[in-house]
Amino acid sequence: MSGLLVACSPQQLPSGLVYCSEGNPESFNPQLVTSGTTIDATSHQIYSRLIDYDTQSGKLVPALATSWAMSDDGLSYRFTLRENVQFQHSSRFIPSRYFNADDVLFSFNRIIDAQHPYHFVSRTGYPFFQSIGFSEQVKKIEKINEHEVVLYLNRKDASFLSNLATDFAIILSDEYAQQQLALGQPENVDHFAIGTGPFTLVQYAKNEYIRYRRNPDYWGEPANVEMLVFDITLKSTTRLAKLITGDCSVSALPKAGELAVIKQHEELNIESQPGLNVAFWAFNTQKPPLNDVRVRRALAYAVDKQDILRAVYQNTAIEATGVLPPASWAYENNKRIDDYNPQKARDLLKEAGVANLSIDIWAMPVARAYNPNTMKTAELIQSDLANIGVKVNIISYDWSVFTQRLSRDEYDSVLIGWNADNSDPDNFFTPILSCSAMQSNNNRSRWCNPEFDALLDSAREIADQAERKVIYQQAEAFLADQVPLLSFAHAKRVILTRHDISNMQVTPFGGISFARTSQVHSEAN
Amino acid sequence: MFAYLLRRLNLFLATSLVMIGVLFYATGLFPVERTYALTGIHAPTTSQLIQIEQDYKLDKHSGWQFIAYLQQRLSGNLGISVTSHQQVAEELRSVLPASFELATMAAIIAICLGVPIGVLASQSQHKLTQNTIMAITLTGYSVPVFWLGLYLSLWFGVDLGWLPISGQINLLYEIKPITGFMLVDTLLSKSEYGMSAFKDALLHIILPAMTLAVLPFTVVVRSTRSAMMNVMDQTYIRAAEARGMHTSTIILRHALPNALIPVLKHLGLMLGSFASYAIVVEMIFSWPGVGSWLVSGIYQRDYTVIQGGILAVALLIIFLSILIEVLHTVFNPLSRKDLYATR
Repeated sequence: MSGLLVACSPQQLPSGLVYCSEGNPESFNPQLVTSGTTIDATSHQIYSRLIDYDTQSGKLVPALATSWAMSDDGLSYRFTLRENVQFQHSSRFIPSRYFNADDVLFSFNRIIDAQHPYHFVSRTGYPFFQSIGFSEQVKKIEKINEHEVVLYLNRKDASFLSNLATDFAIILSDEYAQQQLALGQPENVDHFAIGTGPFTLVQYAKNEYIRYRRNPDYWGEPANVEMLVFDITLKSTTRLAKLITGDCSVSALPKAGELAVIKQHEELNIESQPGLNVAFWAFNTQKPPLNDVRVRRALAYAVDKQDILRAVYQNTAIEATGVLPPASWAYENNKRIDDYNPQKARDLLKEAGVANLSIDIWAMPVARAYNPNTMKTAELIQSDLANIGVKVNIISYDWSVFTQRLSRDEYDSVLIGWNADNSDPDNFFTPILSCSAMQSNNNRSRWCNPEFDALLDSAREIADQAERKVIYQQAEAFLADQVPLLSFAHAKRVILTRHDISNMQVTPFGGISFARTSQVHSEAN
Repeated sequence: MFAYLLRRLNLFLATSLVMIGVLFYATGLFPVERTYALTGIHAPTTSQLIQIEQDYKLDKHSGWQFIAYLQQRLSGNLGISVTSHQQVAEELRSVLPASFELATMAAIIAICLGVPIGVLASQSQHKLTQNTIMAITLTGYSVPVFWLGLYLSLWFGVDLGWLPISGQINLLYEIKPITGFMLVDTLLSKSEYGMSAFKDALLHIILPAMTLAVLPFTVVVRSTRSAMMNVMDQTYIRAAEARGMHTSTIILRHALPNALIPVLKHLGLMLGSFASYAIVVEMIFSWPGVGSWLVSGIYQRDYTVIQGGILAVALLIIFLSILIEVLHTVFNPLSRKDLYATR
């Protein structure tokens, strides 16, 4: 009888929000990675940065630093830190003091100082910071008093503040780190995260879920939802099914073909915004015959980009004419020289003396905002290249294996892309195509050109936007000539929500944030 | 009987030993360094390396290495997972109960529905009923489980929206694992949402359990039917009929207990394919059990998880099939007679 009663009463759900995420995070410290999955799961949920971007205007706004000032020579930045900010507590750590300058020093010294006890705790290095040459750029960080720090730079850099506002530049707790170091378990700092963000990490079950709880001591406006759960669902169709059955309230990265299904369901909303991203096909420029620029140009001519836009993105993306997307202020609509022209491709290959070419294309196993279906893209390129007599092998592994092998540089070419971390155009060049990016394995083209690096450096030393734009356009022209990669699309960022979700912010760049999202619980079932 | 049990135990140990031997041989075939495949520690420090060499006797010849491997594995040291850096044994402990829960539910459905229907099929006078039941079970037996699972989730989950189609429970319920069985834990949970969590867990298990139950269900129906038909031809049944006993009494008290003995044997034979079906079902419904854990371990090239998963699943199957055989012997005096004759 009681069973009958239960079956009739409306089902009660604890208040909270479930997000269907696309994979396992590699770590819980975004300093150590560049993968979007990890950023989504950590940066805006658990941590805070010194400064943030306002999602609407794209301007820098105070976060853990309440104000900042650049010296007249542009070589030092003084930050005033927010007071009375509490770090999260967990079963491992109860903070005894508020956030102060020591935490800032720890968070950045760990990256720039190779002598720092925590520097080599990360086995993957600090890929974003290495790719922008952060440790060469920052001379030292000085603590003035508990609530003031000064960062001294070696050279002027217009993108410096933008880089501090990226998802990677989070602030860790110095006290927690010292405590774990004393216990001989420094790696706990990166696994069992402690930050100052709107949510506290409760539990991570690999392949299953990540559970967070609202941080009651958050320095900003507290989050609207009490509990946040990332339901780790690798397959895009399963994410869609879970969204339809209501197991998830928010999901991301749908395949373009699934959008039609979503439109049939009234309870689902599609929220999209032009993204600051680019999908490209990177050639390993150190491996013959791809070290020959004629071969690279030939391959670029052979690919029908319109076809990819139609089949993979189903017109949810715009064609790329370079690496910068139209949403960036340095963008200009260039007509690229490498339009679809198979005959020209054949001629170029003949000129380079390459016959019976066979190359590998590595295709990412996961969906990314910039490319929802890399496998299909690879298949289209495969058939395009068959037209000019080039044989293509498509290679794919599970994501963790994929990135590992990719950093061992044994690939010919890879279909990948870049999601901007901030609105500065430099973010589209230095982290993925500079020489320092090659050392951190972020430069998938393995292309290091001193001339190009000098161009980027000069752009960073200028503060004037119009002048910088000219230089970035020169950089674009340089890339179009050298073809270390073939960019083909700038995709929209799409987030799917159920109708009871409001205030889901879709930002053009960076990770997802649930701090402001709220859910009206309907009495379901 | 004692000698028989000893022989079964012997069989269990020998089979397990061979299985572990194959696993041990396979660790040498993984395309990575031996120490990495054995422990899951990537780029070990010098002290770790010395420890690994000591533990696995890597400096000695392969016979010693095998014994060391056996010692490590049987003492519960399965290495650490390459992807999560947690103890594999601990991960295994957290995923096993979910698989047991699913398998138990499927077995209950299969037996509770299968036995009555099998009896009905054997006793029915109508050709139509018999043929229908046989046709349905034959179809059930031949339907590929991945197709069935996907179709059930499409119908009941996506189109009708009646049942959830993935996972064990809505993740918003925070249930502390006590027994590891979600259905039990939700009932034991002191949270105010305990009852609705139980209902949610029950809804979640319906589709995967039904899908997984199809194969054992058809086996149970068909073997119950043929065993019943056999038993009903026996002279003691005719004697009972001649004494004027009621048919239902004859079936329940005299025929069925004897008929169930061969059913048990059939179930034992089916364990292997049941386990591989379970892996497929767990994958389709994202059930957080050993199967999906093992498969994702394969995708992630998590060598220690692969070994641990195979070890656990294989040991379990070997153990259960021998257990069922022993039970079969205990319940069946006839086979005990065979036993003594062959001794």
